[in-house]
Amino acid sequence: MTTGSRWGGTAALVLVAVWALNGVGLQDLGGLDARGAAALRGVLSPDLDPQVLREVATAAVETLQIAVAGLLLSVLAAAPLALLLAGNSRAPRLVRSGARLFAALLRGVPELVYALVFVAVVGLGPLAGTLAVAVHGAGLLAKLWSEQLESVDERPVEAARLSGAGRAPVLLLAVLPLARPGLFSLLLYQLECNVRTATVLGVVGAGGLGQAIDLSLRLFDYGKLGTLIATVLLLVLGVDALSRRIRAAVGADTRTVAP
Amino acid sequence: MTSLHVRGLVVRHRDSVAVDDVNVTLGSGEQLVVLGSSGAGKTTLLHALLGAGPRVQGDVRVGALDPYDPTQRRQVRRSTGIVLQGGDLVTRMRARTAAVSGCSHLFGGSGWWALTRGRTPPALKDRLTELADQQGVTHLLSRRVGELSGGERQRVGLLRALLGSPGLLLADEPTAGLDPALGAAAVDALLAHSQSAGNPTLVVTTHDPAVAARFDRVLALRAGRVVHDGPALSADQIGELYARKVH
Repeated sequence: MTTGSRWGGTAALVLVAVWALNGVGLQDLGGLDARGAAALRGVLSPDLDPQVLREVATAAVETLQIAVAGLLLSVLAAAPLALLLAGNSRAPRLVRSGARLFAALLRGVPELVYALVFVAVVGLGPLAGTLAVAVHGAGLLAKLWSEQLESVDERPVEAARLSGAGRAPVLLLAVLPLARPGLFSLLLYQLECNVRTATVLGVVGAGGLGQAIDLSLRLFDYGKLGTLIATVLLLVLGVDALSRRIRAAVGADTRTVAP
Repeated sequence: MTSLHVRGLVVRHRDSVAVDDVNVTLGSGEQLVVLGSSGAGKTTLLHALLGAGPRVQGDVRVGALDPYDPTQRRQVRRSTGIVLQGGDLVTRMRARTAAVSGCSHLFGGSGWWALTRGRTPPALKDRLTELADQQGVTHLLSRRVGELSGGERQRVGLLRALLGSPGLLLADEPTAGLDPALGAAAVDALLAHSQSAGNPTLVVTTHDPAVAARFDRVLALRAGRVVHDGPALSADQIGELYARKVH
């Protein structure tokens, strides 16, 4: 490469950078107006008033409840779906295709869209968030679980079949015991995701911390906003730490599972 | 106890013929070893006796039953005990659960319930105790399969195969992965059992001529075809059996 073309390349990169940063208004950061400065100050100095803390704690508990209730409901649908989807359960082909399509439809719509719909159907509050988390989670868990079931060592499964066991005993005596650590690990991973999602969903009125964040923004209550954001962080980190401990305790897969 | 009839059996895996026009008849209570190099079709033949593997043509009868008939297959499998390479047990399971896992059709509701609490299904309890004692594996039953050595797993695998009092006992490379002494012990256990209570018909596959020499009847396979059926092979015949194909 010649020196000229190298300089030309660098100049082009700089131009692209300036174009992008200027386009999003980064230069405005230098001169924050009064409200912007107040917001930043508020967020950085959380309001620790007991009344505020009580309200925030209530919202945090609600977020946790949305995440857990959503997980329980999604498991009810995901467990049978995953069994039908997994090739080694030997479900009839038509049933399998139907289950695959159904699971894809469930997880194909983002949680936020589900939340908007459920807020319209059941009204503002945690129930809408729970249903949104549950429906999307069911489709996702069904897919992840079925892949986990399919990836087990095939030899003990074949041994069970050769002993004359039917479909259900093969699942219970070979496939599920082999897949159990992975299934459990995915369940915890889904719980972690649900906590994050439940927070975001509140912003469209589906309960929990998100709804409180939305409210404090509308009321320009930036101190409380700071408390809420710190709580989100604590909650997410807390659930991650808890699930790591549970994994270690039950000997489940500790590797990170990509969704 | 169960007689075996295989007539003109051809099994094809994708493009290659794994078992090619095999004929073999085995009387009730007889013992047969299937000898051949890797890929000679031994395991395929064993699986075909249980109606597993894509059959192209031929007939298989286990007693009066046809394992390739979907309505009879399960019955054939349930009255057969099979020991697979390395035991093929679920390593997370306790040996006790693994040992009964081949007899799920005998559990009943109370048996499944007992399993959830880590106990032996009542219907199998006496038989398991007696067999485990006889095989000298009682002390292994409360351990996890993953903690057992290769030889111990093989013994638990044999226990599983014997638990249903099978009329036909199959073993696929029972000495694979074991040292010569342990391998000989595994073959001893199979032979001893097939001559004792119930007198099940025994079919064992092996690539090891020393194991084959323990049997009165040897069926030698080469590229899926029977090249010998009778008493032990001579050294020349064994050399020929393992020679690389020259075109």
